[in-house]
Amino acid sequence: MYKTIIFFFSIVFMTESCQHPSVPKNSKYLSMVGDIAQDPKLDDPNFTLCDEKNTKQYHNLNEEMQYEGEKYALDQTFATQFKADPTIKDSGMIRIRFIVNCKGETGRFRLMSSGYDYKEKQFNNAITDQLLTITKSLKGWKILSDKRGPKDYYQYLIFKITDGQIKEIMP
Amino acid sequence: MTKLTKYIIVWVIALCQTISTAQNCNVFLYQKDTLQYEACLIAEDAYQYYQYSREYQEILDKAIEKCPHFSYAYLNKSTAYLKSGDFITWKYLIDKAVEYNFRENIGYRGWCKFMFFRDYQGAIDDIEALEAVSKGNIGYSAGGHYHLKVAKALCYKQLGDVKKAIYIMEQYMHDTTNQISVFDHLHLGVMYLETGIYDKAITQLNLQSVQNDIAENQYYLALCHQKMGNDSLFSEHITKAKEMYLRSQKMVFHYTEPIDRVYLEEINQALIGNEKANK
Repeated sequence: MYKTIIFFFSIVFMTESCQHPSVPKNSKYLSMVGDIAQDPKLDDPNFTLCDEKNTKQYHNLNEEMQYEGEKYALDQTFATQFKADPTIKDSGMIRIRFIVNCKGETGRFRLMSSGYDYKEKQFNNAITDQLLTITKSLKGWKILSDKRGPKDYYQYLIFKITDGQIKEIMP
Repeated sequence: MTKLTKYIIVWVIALCQTISTAQNCNVFLYQKDTLQYEACLIAEDAYQYYQYSREYQEILDKAIEKCPHFSYAYLNKSTAYLKSGDFITWKYLIDKAVEYNFRENIGYRGWCKFMFFRDYQGAIDDIEALEAVSKGNIGYSAGGHYHLKVAKALCYKQLGDVKKAIYIMEQYMHDTTNQISVFDHLHLGVMYLETGIYDKAITQLNLQSVQNDIAENQYYLALCHQKMGNDSLFSEHITKAKEMYLRSQKMVFHYTEPIDRVYLEEINQALIGNEKANK
């Protein structure tokens, strides 16, 4: 019984510290710029990280984006799967930021968008829903490692949209 | 090495770093700008933390609180947002840095607009604004791979004005006081290729081979020879391009994909296309 209580409190403590890694309550910042905390309303509960407190940025682990078939393959995927609606003339930038975990799986997708003036702007759902669906379906993200083994890392894609069509994808 | 020796070395390095940073802050003192001097001293504490971290951002906020026109703090705060693709927060912060120190930051903002967000017109506007207030050399990109005039030329090319891009590149490279950077010949060569001036393209790409031979210049040399109907030279260069690519002798930039970058699939497709044509 004693061991069970200790185990229970340990699990509660570990879960809590994972969700709020050492950030004081009065800070307006997350632990790291761009951190994405797990949100049960938005995220797949089956998507887990190896080391919640030590998620890297993609550029920490390699000089450039690492995708099977390189960015060429990624561009081709969006070129063939994204269907522009000619009646929608939205323009600007859309960023989808997400995590690639140590197994090469993706999750915690978050979207940000602006006009070309860098001011926040909502895009037509027909555009953002498609981009999110295609991004979630991508299977080519490589597992990136440091000296200690495979790591979880943040990746993003930025779409330049002009008159409802994808003009360029970054990084 | 004894523990004492190691300790002394670490201490000397730390002392040198402290002195060099303190001298930077002393610039403000020399200018009798005590507010920026005090903000600078506060900001020094941030540099022990990773630029993405909460601590880094909070210390720089304190520096800004001390001196609201301390551009250096806005500039440094912006970096993590730039690298994480948060263009909205980045733009807010870098605009503040430009507002409080136009001459030092406008060129950098232009470079970032180009490299991170492919905002070609925004980059041109910033670089031309810098040119308007500069008497001499407008300087290089962050990282030093590109002169800002070359970056401007690439922006014009990406907007479809290749002739203007060539004009800027030619002017820049004709000036012997300018230093030719690691990819300048490649970019000019590709511009000539895109406008059908194959002899000049080959000249530039050969110069690139001499200066910094990479898969990209071999690939574009192959395309030039293909356009000129020289199959044997096409095969020679495309084969070399693939070999170099597989040895990772290619354009690699930290964070983003460079202009005129070539991918393995493109090289393979050129090879397959040539094989089919020869059957």
